[in-house]
Amino acid sequence: MEATYIKRKKDGRINIKWGNKGDRVLRWTLVVLTILTVVSFLFFNYAGLELGSAIRETAYNLNVMFLEPALSHLDLGEAMYQVVVTLSLAFLATVIGAIIAFFLSLMAATNLAPVGVTRIVRVFVAIIRAVPTVLWVLIFAIAAGLGSEAAVLGMLFHSIAYLVKAFSEAFEEVDKGILEALRSIGADWWHIVKSGVLPSTFTYLLSWIFLRFEINFGVAVAMGAAAGAGGIGFDLFMASGFYFDMREVGFITYAILIVAFLLEVISTRLKKRYFPATTE
Amino acid sequence: MSLLKIDELEKSYTADKRILKDINFEIKAGEFVSIIGPSGAGKSTMLRCINRMVEFNDGKIIFNNHDVGSLNKKELRKLRTDIGMVFQHYNLVPRLTVIENVLHGRFGYKTTLQGLMGRYSEKEKEDAFRLLEKLGIHEHAYKRCDQLSGGQQQRVGICRALIQEPKLILCDEPIASLDPNSSKIIMDLLKSISKEMGITCLVNLHQVDVAQHYSDRIIGLNDGEIVFDGKGIELSVEQINKIYGTKAKDLITS
Ligand SMILES: Nc1ncnc2c1ncn2[C@@H]1O[C@H](COP(=O)(O)OP(=O)(O)O)[C@@H](O)[C@H]1O
Ligand SMILES: [Mg+2]
Repeated sequence: MEATYIKRKKDGRINIKWGNKGDRVLRWTLVVLTILTVVSFLFFNYAGLELGSAIRETAYNLNVMFLEPALSHLDLGEAMYQVVVTLSLAFLATVIGAIIAFFLSLMAATNLAPVGVTRIVRVFVAIIRAVPTVLWVLIFAIAAGLGSEAAVLGMLFHSIAYLVKAFSEAFEEVDKGILEALRSIGADWWHIVKSGVLPSTFTYLLSWIFLRFEINFGVAVAMGAAAGAGGIGFDLFMASGFYFDMREVGFITYAILIVAFLLEVISTRLKKRYFPATTE
Repeated sequence: MSLLKIDELEKSYTADKRILKDINFEIKAGEFVSIIGPSGAGKSTMLRCINRMVEFNDGKIIFNNHDVGSLNKKELRKLRTDIGMVFQHYNLVPRLTVIENVLHGRFGYKTTLQGLMGRYSEKEKEDAFRLLEKLGIHEHAYKRCDQLSGGQQQRVGICRALIQEPKLILCDEPIASLDPNSSKIIMDLLKSISKEMGITCLVNLHQVDVAQHYSDRIIGLNDGEIVFDGKGIELSVEQINKIYGTKAKDLITS
């Protein structure tokens, strides 16, 4: 006599996943998207395209780009300076974002603020996060004009939303016994934040900030190109879209890659040190 | 003179269950009183009503001539400086040093700004070291708390309560996470604090024999009701059964 609560697949093997509606919807969505992608390739307009020469020229361009990188419109000092400009844009957005996010996330943590307040802050933050960074930049560009101000504001907005979520979750992990002990002493709310919450979460906050800095560097490059924010992204845009100088594009790409690689190395170290479980 | 007087105290977290039912007792200054009872009887809740970490529903608590239930936020902070609290899990900030944790006990006396700047007077720091020395953990003063053993951490917790210069110390199962050796050290310390410094102690305990050995008086709690209130030697087997329910008797005799 077999227990009826064992679920089996059609071929009789025992199921270990509960096949719920969400899974099924997801699976069907993927199937439909795959079919649409394949079908849409058949309907493209291939009139002007000669596949042979297209591949050859692309290969040639890539070859020039990555095997013969060189600077022509910039000198090395100028290129480095522009990388620093991009890093500064990212840095500015991250630091200001972290400070604002810190105070907002105190209001978003259920163990530190009334439920009503946490709800409002969370909805606010979710809305900000739902809009892509580029869109925020364009929205701020209405008031500030396209340029670094709009780019920093846009990046700032997204950084705040991202960090509030991360910070407030870290705050909620703080042992509630610590908070209780401090309250029982007669400590006020700021004392509890400074002496109970901050020491317990400080290293987490720092590594989240660094992770966001890494993301912001990438965004800052894109903003330089797309929103005229300056920095190395703008030079990349000029080299590729204006001068068609493949060698310079290659050089700039390498420069960006090196910086991104360094940031990645540092942040991996941070993650290993402070979030050992998530890097496995 | 009575330091603490509890009158017809009622507490329920939800509408359908009374956790504390008509609690009445009085504690004299300098007394060492244990509260015993099975887990879930309401011991922790009762302790937390006294410094209003938990809001009670009905009844009256008079501490040091103040009506605890009617205090506003500011007065409540002031009241809490007079009541130290010691916890089962110590509740120290693990990443801070021993001395920093002890000095947290002064927060009740500080303005927001003083607390944020971490400003302590030289006297406060000297007092902190004197207490650490008294409890025998002064050589660990600059260690992070998470490097200490349980017994040592509990001593830090007691120092933090003492530096408040409290009139009453509430201990919620202070030895429930400790080995017998450390337990004895902690109970001896609490006893000597109450004797030498004249500080009143109200201690939640699990173990009847420990309560009998250390307390001037024992209050037995069962399902939110006081079923015993008297000296340790007056506690008979029947009364222990009444406090812990018949199940406990079965466990002991079998
Ligand atoms: N915050 C709370 N919310 C709801 N019920 C609670 C809460 N704290 C304790 N209780 C309930 O109150 C009763 C007494 O708990 P407690 O005071 O912790 O007892 P004890 O310390 O004697 O073990 C238990 O039934 C517990 O489930
Ligand atoms: Mg308890």
